[in-house]
Amino acid sequence: MQKYIWLVPLLPLIGAAINGLLGRKFRFSETLIGGIAVGSVALAFLISVAAVYSYGFGGHAEWPKPYVTSQDGFSFDWIPGGAVRINQGAHEGTAAEASRFALLNVEWSYQLDPLSSIFMLIVTGVGLCIFVFATGYMHGEAGYYRFFAYMGLFMFAMLVLVMGSNFLMMFVGWEGVGLCSYLLIGYYFDRQEAANASRKAFITNRIGDFGFALAIFGIIAAFGSAQYTEVFNQAKGYPIELLGHWGILSWIALGLFVGACGKSAQLPLHVWLPDAMAGPTPVSALIHAATMVTAGLYMVTRTNVIFQHSQTMLLVVALVGAATAIFAATIGITQNDIKRVLAYSTVSQLGFMFMACGVGAFVIGIFHVMTHAFFKALMFLGAGSVIHGMHHEQDMRRMGGLKKYMPYTYWTFMAGWLAICGVIPFSGFWSKDEILWNAASTTHIPLGWIVWLVGTIAATCTAFYMTRLMAMTFWGKERFLEQPAGGEADEAHAAAYTKGMAPHDATRAAAGDRPRHEPGEHVGPVHEDVAHHVATHGHGEHHGAHMPHESPPSMWVPLVALAVLATIGGLIGIGPAFRTVTGSEHPGGRLNISTWLKPIIWNPSTREFNSAEGTGHEAAPAEAAHAETAAATSETGGEAAHGTAAAYGDTGYNLAHTIEGATHSELATEWLFIIISLVVAGIGMLLGGLFYVWRPALAGVWAQRLRPLYNASYNKYWVDEFYGWAVTRRTMDAARAVFRFDSGIVDGIVNGLAWLSRQVSLVVGAIDKYIVDGLVNTVAAFIMRLMSPLFRAAQTGFTQNYALVMVLGLMIAVAIFFARDIFGR
Amino acid sequence: MTLSGYEALFFWIFALAAIFAGLLTVMARNAVHSALFLISSLVSVAALFVLARAEFIAGVQILVYVGGVMVLFLFVIMLVNVGAEERGHEEIFNNQRQVAASLIFCLLLVGGVLYAVNKGYAGLQRLHPTTADTAAQQQSARESSYATSATAASKITKDAEGVGNSLYRYASLPFEIASVLLLVAIIGSVMLARTLRQEASADDLGPEVLKVEIVNDPELANLEPQSE
Amino acid sequence: MLNFFTPALVLLLQEGGRIAQMKQSALNPDLSKFLVIGALLFIIGVAGVLTRRNIIVIFMSIELILNAANLNFIAFSRYLQETGSANALAGQIFTVFVIVVAAAEAAIGLGIVIALYRNKETIWVDEIDLLKW
Repeated sequence: MQKYIWLVPLLPLIGAAINGLLGRKFRFSETLIGGIAVGSVALAFLISVAAVYSYGFGGHAEWPKPYVTSQDGFSFDWIPGGAVRINQGAHEGTAAEASRFALLNVEWSYQLDPLSSIFMLIVTGVGLCIFVFATGYMHGEAGYYRFFAYMGLFMFAMLVLVMGSNFLMMFVGWEGVGLCSYLLIGYYFDRQEAANASRKAFITNRIGDFGFALAIFGIIAAFGSAQYTEVFNQAKGYPIELLGHWGILSWIALGLFVGACGKSAQLPLHVWLPDAMAGPTPVSALIHAATMVTAGLYMVTRTNVIFQHSQTMLLVVALVGAATAIFAATIGITQNDIKRVLAYSTVSQLGFMFMACGVGAFVIGIFHVMTHAFFKALMFLGAGSVIHGMHHEQDMRRMGGLKKYMPYTYWTFMAGWLAICGVIPFSGFWSKDEILWNAASTTHIPLGWIVWLVGTIAATCTAFYMTRLMAMTFWGKERFLEQPAGGEADEAHAAAYTKGMAPHDATRAAAGDRPRHEPGEHVGPVHEDVAHHVATHGHGEHHGAHMPHESPPSMWVPLVALAVLATIGGLIGIGPAFRTVTGSEHPGGRLNISTWLKPIIWNPSTREFNSAEGTGHEAAPAEAAHAETAAATSETGGEAAHGTAAAYGDTGYNLAHTIEGATHSELATEWLFIIISLVVAGIGMLLGGLFYVWRPALAGVWAQRLRPLYNASYNKYWVDEFYGWAVTRRTMDAARAVFRFDSGIVDGIVNGLAWLSRQVSLVVGAIDKYIVDGLVNTVAAFIMRLMSPLFRAAQTGFTQNYALVMVLGLMIAVAIFFARDIFGR
Repeated sequence: MTLSGYEALFFWIFALAAIFAGLLTVMARNAVHSALFLISSLVSVAALFVLARAEFIAGVQILVYVGGVMVLFLFVIMLVNVGAEERGHEEIFNNQRQVAASLIFCLLLVGGVLYAVNKGYAGLQRLHPTTADTAAQQQSARESSYATSATAASKITKDAEGVGNSLYRYASLPFEIASVLLLVAIIGSVMLARTLRQEASADDLGPEVLKVEIVNDPELANLEPQSE
Repeated sequence: MLNFFTPALVLLLQEGGRIAQMKQSALNPDLSKFLVIGALLFIIGVAGVLTRRNIIVIFMSIELILNAANLNFIAFSRYLQETGSANALAGQIFTVFVIVVAAAEAAIGLGIVIALYRNKETIWVDEIDLLKW
């Protein structure tokens, strides 16, 4: 079945093409469009499942080797050899040096290996849920076909990204998802906010793409190929660049990480993700929670051999991830828009994932990607359901007590809440706990304990603000009964309402999706006059159409599916801390994510992929090596992490080792950290409950007391303003200066040349007219003045004068006749 | 053709007469005098023709030239009023410059022509050398064959006979053409000398010209033929 | 009676022996004398054409010129008869035609004079100068 994986990207593309090209022309019904879209994704999902099963668990399973479709024939000569000559200068002394000038040969083929299989399943599976949700959510939209065309295109691009067999295909997919993100954020293209946000997303992405492109160039130059198999085979032979040494692999890793920052919204390129909430909620769920933003993680994990060669870059990744995690978490505490809270939560969780990669736990990073996809997509869809039920009200201050109005949404959302807070046995717990444990115990980089500390604080904040979200939305007082709500319930309307009967329109910055309603519902266009609205509907009254309602099944069924996954999905990654319960470090054989992903993770101590990890005993020299370095510690188990001590040297203070030294038991240490993370999650949840359920007044009081901190958090640390001042306006200034130069100097030169030509022509014309013509006229006049009287004088009119001339002629004739005789003799 | 004896004498008489008459033609004040002098010059030249054994031509000259052309001249002189000239108030010669230039040219021409004639005759002499005696002998030999005239005082020359032979045999085409020429001349002169009234009555005036001329001569209107 | 106007007179006079010859030739005029007479008549006519104001007199001078030409023709005709040329009478024939032409020309010319006189009331040539600048 593996050899049909090329269908997996193709099916959503075909669906998108049909919807996009024919959907409007032939006026497809919503059912048809939705059916095509959902059907194509569902089919792709089924094929993915079958392919992954056949790859990993079937009769002729190829796991752990990667499967490239070019083995079976599906391969398209995309950039045939000869298009680019490359100098493999970095690989001296090898066989490659003989073919110093190799020819780049890039093919279009798909690769099915442990990493891409996980992403395939996530993208198509979660994508399927979201597509089904969207058929209900986008009901009534005029651009229904366009939405699903773009979503299908996105699926195609994302699948090419994760399934590609070389870096150039990944880049194609990378750009493709960036494009689709732009198209989908700007889906409501007639709204200023959406247009700005989509532009911001695309440009910020682009900055990252620049770094990514440079890294790809470096890869091609260093390794002579873009194919994963080839590149990683060569890369594993390179020496590790320790902290302070910066070599070619560090450069490549830097470029790759810049790309990841842009795509996965890490500091400082995170600014686009919160604004991207201007797009429809399914878009936020799919692209900005589950799939696109995880492309950075995919890329970092795919190139983990390169990252692990550069200790500096690992440290950078970890620190950036940690910084992003705490940064976004502190902002999310004060936001009032439900989608914005989730957006900052996404940024924060992505920071966690990069933390994991930075400390060397790439498997856990991918694990967290998976669990995060489940619960974040779930929560976004739940928020979408809430918004839909609240008639496009997004401000949490106007929600409350929705528990009894939207039960399905409530219970499924609760599953996501518990998952993200990290409550055992929900999925989020398993991945987040492992991240923190690996941060504390890492031997890849120094300062692991700082990463652990920051991560723990961020986890606390996460629990706090997620509980706050739950409380404000589902529990407590039903605030929507008092505040003006309804179709025009956006900030602009509210502001206008408080100002009086001023007319307003939707071009003002607003928070929320455009309302779409069936004819018959009372909601009018957003530019409806407030006076008219009040006159017809009264002020402050509430009536049936404004009450929140549960969403249709097309929307809550996917929620249920995702809730199930969010609950039990973490069980594939039960950590080694539970080995006493499960019987093995990574229970489940191939089904365990660590086992599954091991073939693609490079082990720096053995310098091989798929190296013995968690088997308990390293090769003897490695044991001896780390027995020496771990003098103050005694371990009973052979953690692969300890083995890396030989590869990376002394990484300074190691929290886990310190505690282990005190407890003399690795298991106890692990359980200690588990307890700590559960406790902090509980503290966060309790604080959230305190501030927003039991003592709601306390929130305002503490906001006052911590006013500066509150302002900083509420204003997102003024990062957007700073970028606007430092980057945007300076760029505009430069553009203006260049324009002035162009119009003044360049155009001035051109115009000056034209002016000069005209002057020259004037001069030449004057010369011609006065000098040349003057000369000719003067000569002619002179001749005329000279000869004219003579000739005129000859015309006397006197016949005898003419006769005289005749006689003269006669004389001359006679003289000529006799000239010979007269003179010649 | 050397002339000798009386022929020589008469040659010189008539030659000088012709030249003298010609000179006076040009210099006479009265146009009629001029015409008369011309007649005498022409008659002298006719005499010279006779001396050159071209009796027919001499007769033609007298009859046609003198008798026709000169009479015509006289008629025209009479038609044209030359009163002032006769009374001696008019200048008969052109302005001085014209006369001076003409005289100079004529003197030069004289010199040139005389030189040319001498030169040419010298050449002819070389070609056909003949003396006076041989010439006279030849002449008398020729004349001996002539018929005698009725009065038996002179011989009848063959000149007219010869001219007639040549003219009507070899020069018959020019002869006919000459007659056409004369016809044209007649028509032309008649047409040229018509008066305005004659033209008007013959309906040969254009209407615009008629209008203009009627202003000068009102009687032209009467002469207008009826348009049909 | 002597030909004063011979340009070669100076040269001839240099050869003194020519005097007798000249006397001889004077006593026996031959062709050259005829030609000289004709030339003189011609020149007198030319002088008259160029000099006189009266248009009739100019015409008469033209007749003189034509006569001079006739004299030339006749003289040569006589000469050629004596030297035995076959076409000797051509001169006389030509003279006939010259006379014809002269007559026609006189008729036309005098018609023109009459028309001119009727329009311009003048016979003075120097008063008829309309075709000037």
